Amino acid sequence: MAAYKLVLTWHGKSAWNPENRFSSWYDANLSLAGHKEAKRSGQALRDAGYEFDICFTSVQKRAIQTLWTVLDAIDQMWLPVVRTWCLNEQHYGGLTGLNKAETAAEHGEAQVKIWRRSYHVPPPPMEPDHPFYSNISKDRRYEGLTEDQLPSWESLKGTTARGLPFWNEEIIPQIKERQRVLIAAHGNSLRGIVKHLEGLSEEAIMELNLPTGIPIVYELDNNLKPIKLMQFLGNEETIRKAMEAVAAQGKVKK
Amino acid sequence: MSKYKLIILRHGEGAWNKENRFCSWVDQKLNREGVEEARNCGKQLRSLKFEFDLVFTSVLNRSIHTAWLILEELGQEWVPVESSWRLNERHYGALIGLNREKMALNHGEEQVRLWRRSYNVTPPPIEESHPYYHEIYSDRRYKLCDVPLDQLPRSESLKDVLERLLPYWNERIAPEVLKGKTILISAHGNSSRALLKHLEGISDEDIINITLPTGVPILLELDENLHAVGTHQFLGDQEAIREAIKKVDDQGKVKKVPTSPSTG
Repeated sequence: MAAYKLVLTWHGKSAWNPENRFSSWYDANLSLAGHKEAKRSGQALRDAGYEFDICFTSVQKRAIQTLWTVLDAIDQMWLPVVRTWCLNEQHYGGLTGLNKAETAAEHGEAQVKIWRRSYHVPPPPMEPDHPFYSNISKDRRYEGLTEDQLPSWESLKGTTARGLPFWNEEIIPQIKERQRVLIAAHGNSLRGIVKHLEGLSEEAIMELNLPTGIPIVYELDNNLKPIKLMQFLGNEETIRKAMEAVAAQGKVKK
Repeated sequence: MSKYKLIILRHGEGAWNKENRFCSWVDQKLNREGVEEARNCGKQLRSLKFEFDLVFTSVLNRSIHTAWLILEELGQEWVPVESSWRLNERHYGALIGLNREKMALNHGEEQVRLWRRSYNVTPPPIEESHPYYHEIYSDRRYKLCDVPLDQLPRSESLKDVLERLLPYWNERIAPEVLKGKTILISAHGNSSRALLKHLEGISDEDIINITLPTGVPILLELDENLHAVGTHQFLGDQEAIREAIKKVDDQGKVKKVPTSPSTG
């Protein structure tokens, strides 16, 4: 019998997904397809009768818009929402804005896979002359971050490192108080949470594919350990397709 | 001397606005026009380069959705949003769901104007037999308020609205304003009127004549003691705003039916 239930959702496709670009900390909008995924996500939660008490999300609009769409679908728009940069997507440094297939053509598929899925290996940093440097680093939402906190690149390890304190200090206490938590975030910030929840190795995290725009449900025991594998809400076909699509992005178009 | 700026607004149209019914605590969604009003509001604020630090809304969907749409237009979805029942629309009691024009026919335009616009006239309370009673009070959001469910209002005058709004203004919003934060309050016709009455020192008599248009940002400048400096200003095309105010005022009027020419 689960002591707690936790729902995670990776936002749907962003405007940059059709172009296959590393979005990273760039504040890309959800695409029309992404909005549809979010709606479908919300409907799945509504049909399963989910009620939440508090929501956490990043400061990036694709996650926030996904959350808003879900809250509308489940008629819980009034829920408290905590926004934090700690749940932002991994900062892909100098690769931000680059097309994934082009990067693979230049650096090889293997290097791209490593960059996308390795725990330790960081991307090259985002330098001041990068086209998105000011757009991201000088954005008002990051004014409160210290120089040490504001990244110019991150490995998955780094993404997890800045996410874990927030998870421990802000999210876990809510779960333990029996608050039903919904987290709307990004592929790699969620991967960090999953690694921690399931105690996955660094190799295992590299192989992990999370589906976009589909609610991921964890049932946890009193020690916040999952009592079964993560479950997806939605139909089987949608889930299978989504997982395949994410794995295919890093491959070079023939 | 103006030290702080505050933006207050009344959400746009919902289905019942079109039907001219008292919506109050019934959780109506914005209709298509209401969504467009909210977006236009956002565009207006964007053109004026507003940068918000904090947004407050009621727990009713239409005020929250309005805030979301405005933040989207501004590219400021990341700004924290806080919702409280204390910013809810005025509770219209037994009048909830009733059409304003029909009420004017039954009770007279003046009675309807008093119910809508006076300061301390309370409508009859909502009873359990009311068609919307359970829809409102069985909603989970009202079990989580800082006041027990059975102590939440069953009917309110504008004075009652201010009484339950003021602690929230004093304890939650005002301290943020004093820190120099740029605040957006996305609320309702009467909760906005109540707050303006307080901040501008509008008398109980004069508040009757204050009507707020939907979907128009209202700028209030405050001094270091959070008293209004000058009157509130509507931001946007002034002619369109005058039309919008008249539209709201006319909701309580009986429409004159043109008489057909007599035959013979």
